[in-house]
Amino acid sequence: MIAQVYFWIFAAIAVACAFSVLASRHPINGAMALIGTMVSLAGVYSLIASPFLATLQILVYAGAIMMLVVFVIMVLNSAKDHYTPMLDGLGAFGFVIAALIGVLVARVFVGLDGKASVKINPSAPRGDVEAISKTLFGSGMHTGGWALLFLAIGLVLLTAIVGAVLLAKRHLDTAETSTEGGH
Amino acid sequence: MDTVPLFQLQILSAILFAAGLATVLVRRNLFFVLMGVELMLNAANLSFLSWSRVQAGAATLEGQVAPLFSIAIAAAEACVGLAMLLAVFRTRETLDTDAYSKMKE
Repeated sequence: MIAQVYFWIFAAIAVACAFSVLASRHPINGAMALIGTMVSLAGVYSLIASPFLATLQILVYAGAIMMLVVFVIMVLNSAKDHYTPMLDGLGAFGFVIAALIGVLVARVFVGLDGKASVKINPSAPRGDVEAISKTLFGSGMHTGGWALLFLAIGLVLLTAIVGAVLLAKRHLDTAETSTEGGH
Repeated sequence: MDTVPLFQLQILSAILFAAGLATVLVRRNLFFVLMGVELMLNAANLSFLSWSRVQAGAATLEGQVAPLFSIAIAAAEACVGLAMLLAVFRTRETLDTDAYSKMKE
């Protein structure tokens, strides 16, 4: 039952942080709350025997991606939310739609509780580094071609980085900054 | 070894997804829109991972590899999204999505 206790703690932190992302005014507060959600989700991942994904969650999500977000928030210092109404017509519509989708999805999953065939398999292999690397880079007959996909994802990331650089540097070509940089 | 029931994991995932969707739909600040997308991607990863624990053998491990690609796509999305946010902020000087109404005029 100790796993259940830890799960409730992590789930409570994750949900509380997720709703404070929704409610916070300054983007820095929202980013910090989002980091809280991600770290407690890493705890949930390690509870369900996936230590590699838990590490990746902290390294890539809470570390790299959120670092980038916080960095950009600090670069654009005037980015504070100008107290736009959250509960006008459009906002209330968004709340209703999100709650409706959440309730519908949750309703489907509550039905899973009694079915014997869709329970967590206790003898499923642990997702540690060795097992995942064998699946990802294995060269047997039964590997699903993940290594090729891994190369493709490298290309996607490279394209994204080049695209980001092109998008962010376009301003340097305009006249005002080129005269500034001339002397 | 005791584990967490599948439906509890899935309901946590559904709650996080709904919170992320509400953030995207309700907030008018571009940073919060991006963070809501990240939240929804996290919820999808949790769902992926908990379904992978239902399988046995190699299928479990393949289900654990798939979120890895989802994380990489999320990294690419954050990279391009933040660059677009910077570009938009430079031309419009605001991050309020209500202010981006040029196509309406």
